[in-house]
Amino acid sequence: MNLKKHTPTLVAAAVATVLLAGFGVTSISIAGMEKGGPAPLAPLGLPPIPPDNLQTPAKIELGKLLFFDPRVGGDASTGCSTCHEPDQGWAWAEDFSRGYPGTVHWRNSQTIINSAYFPRQFWAGSASSNEKQAKSAAKGGVAGNGEDDLMEARLALIPEYRKRFKEVFGTEWPHIFDVWHAISAFERSMVQRDTPMDKYLQGDKRALSEEAVRGKSLFEGKAGCIQCHNGALTSDTDFHNIGIPPNVRWEEDGLAQITFRFEQYAKGQTEEGYRTAKSDWGFYYRGKNKWDRGKFRTAPIRYVKYTAPYMHNGVFYTLEEVVDFYDRGGFDEDGRTTDFPENKSPLIKPLGLTDEEKSDLIAFLEAYSGEEILMEKPELPEYAPLFTKAQLEAAQEAK
Amino acid sequence: MGVLVTTGRTILAATIGLGMALGVQASGYPDIGPLPQLKTNAAKAELGKRLFFDRRISGDAGISCADCHMPDNGYAHPDALSPGYPGNGHFRNSASLINTAHKNVWNWDGRIGTNLNDMTREMLTEDYIMNMDMRIMQERAKQDPVYVQMFKDAGYGEPSNGSVRKAIPEYLKTLTSRNAPFDTGKMSDSAKRGMALFKGKGGCMQCHNGSLVTDLKAHNTGVPENFDVFLDPMNHQAFVAFTMFQGIPDYMNLKRDPGYYNVTLEEQDMGKFVTPSLRELKYTAPYMHNGMIASLPEVVEFYNNGGGKDSRKSDMVKPLNLSGQEKKDLVAFLEALSGDPLTGSGFVWSEEYPAEYPVIENWRQVRN
Repeated sequence: MNLKKHTPTLVAAAVATVLLAGFGVTSISIAGMEKGGPAPLAPLGLPPIPPDNLQTPAKIELGKLLFFDPRVGGDASTGCSTCHEPDQGWAWAEDFSRGYPGTVHWRNSQTIINSAYFPRQFWAGSASSNEKQAKSAAKGGVAGNGEDDLMEARLALIPEYRKRFKEVFGTEWPHIFDVWHAISAFERSMVQRDTPMDKYLQGDKRALSEEAVRGKSLFEGKAGCIQCHNGALTSDTDFHNIGIPPNVRWEEDGLAQITFRFEQYAKGQTEEGYRTAKSDWGFYYRGKNKWDRGKFRTAPIRYVKYTAPYMHNGVFYTLEEVVDFYDRGGFDEDGRTTDFPENKSPLIKPLGLTDEEKSDLIAFLEAYSGEEILMEKPELPEYAPLFTKAQLEAAQEAK
Repeated sequence: MGVLVTTGRTILAATIGLGMALGVQASGYPDIGPLPQLKTNAAKAELGKRLFFDRRISGDAGISCADCHMPDNGYAHPDALSPGYPGNGHFRNSASLINTAHKNVWNWDGRIGTNLNDMTREMLTEDYIMNMDMRIMQERAKQDPVYVQMFKDAGYGEPSNGSVRKAIPEYLKTLTSRNAPFDTGKMSDSAKRGMALFKGKGGCMQCHNGSLVTDLKAHNTGVPENFDVFLDPMNHQAFVAFTMFQGIPDYMNLKRDPGYYNVTLEEQDMGKFVTPSLRELKYTAPYMHNGMIASLPEVVEFYNNGGGKDSRKSDMVKPLNLSGQEKKDLVAFLEALSGDPLTGSGFVWSEEYPAEYPVIENWRQVRN
């Protein structure tokens, strides 16, 4: 694989973002704001940077270390990168994310590439920023399963981290709150804005193949994809029920059944809901509105070449399966669909695509992925004793 | 993780309660006597036994209660410092669980003074111990048909967190001293002489009294710090996390175990630890809250020298001027307080646990 060393350019881009974007003014168009139809496809601008967590090269570099450090987690085995592997699309190449040891997750791991642009994180929008996402993931029982006190204690015993946190945040000791800030700064540097489609939209008409150009017309026309996959991000960042069937793994895998019930419990289901749920109720868990059952955040088309499998529960392993699913009007090859057909979006209906149209569409989808972003895992700083034996002897003497 | 911090008042009240129940001898200290029997429910205790030895009730399914409280070591651990959860170490010695059901205060610093139900929750959920999200634990239990049946047989209905916290204490009630020479009256002459020293010249009785041979109160005897707590970052991180969470001031600079100070935040309680029971010592070396003393003769020597160095050391601890024979007699008496090992199948779960969780069939048709 082609190892692309991109840290310096990303850092430069991120710093430029601060200057250009000012106080968190987003440079992307927000879906649905425009009258008379979905936001047009557009080149991806710079990500929004929150004013309380500005990008600096030192912060991004610290965030990168922390992102790859499994000591930011419960038993020091499961860090961010454990489920967001650079060579698995900064995601996890199985239907469900691998989860904490002794568990399996219940949703598909999403790529961190371009996660900076989303106003709400996770498939059901339960975190309103990268910072909150990082915290939830590091602490969740089937994710990082870490606790603030122990994670903070570990970092305090790593001299390199003490030095870097002091430089970046000015604190004597690393604070767990700042861990989420640094990781988010790193994630905001992980964007891809030079895909063939970005180049095409910027005027380079040779950037797309003829198939992809035809696919673009289908995307914006007959196939109707643009109704939700729109704007620069190719996501309206909203929540829809498109008819994804439950993952059959819940019928076949005891470990997955455990996590399934745990999630119903942890997400505040009613007793009856806990007893009867047989699929992920998605956006319902936010507001507990029955019309939100089975809704999930529109995933971006960007970087999909590297992030299979697809959908919130990873039921489709190829883009062909995805296109076939939409072509059938939201049914898989066995005719299965959402447990909540009453909530299924009216935007989803059979498309009547020909085989050639399907392959054109896929060519277009792939044009939203640039080169694979790979990164060597950094060497992690080591623990060192905080005190010397002489200091301890002196303290003993002074007791 | 959630931790219930009891106040000093709770512990003292509980301690007084025990003292009154046991009767007070002429010297002013409750006499050492046999432990009362505890009634147990067999089905509940059997369930608790399976849980106690089951690694699936820790966060990453890596350790069970029995990994730090090992049957062969008197339900303690042979290392000076308990191993702790994978990914970190620990900062205290694993205490024996034999007779723990007779206590009313738990942990070396006495921070739990309610019941074993709370203590069980503390051990399961504390991040540096078992780091278990109990909601996941409940769902794991419900996925194992053996547990589903055992919880039902125990009268608990379907598996739940609350029942785990009841069943494990029920099992712990079965871990009580059996046939200690002291209890059966079959002590050697040396041990008998040691008992007289224990009650008299040795002054041990001042704190080690009553049927459990402990007053269950916190004292400072000047046990030296175990530097491995601070020099090994794996142990130190657990110590820092603990003191941070408990609200100990200036925890990053702390170079000693605060002990009972954790409960009261009163300076005079710095370095106090709850008197351990002297029953079953034969199996539970090393000794003291941080495992700093390897053998019983060394423990006796420690007290013969008047304990360790600490400006807040208890006045009760002073040089004893014991002869060589007296020290041996004292050790003989201490050993006579140990009974049969609790290592048989009546105490230890010996059946295999399933390597994988069986799938619930017809999952879409049955209620969760």
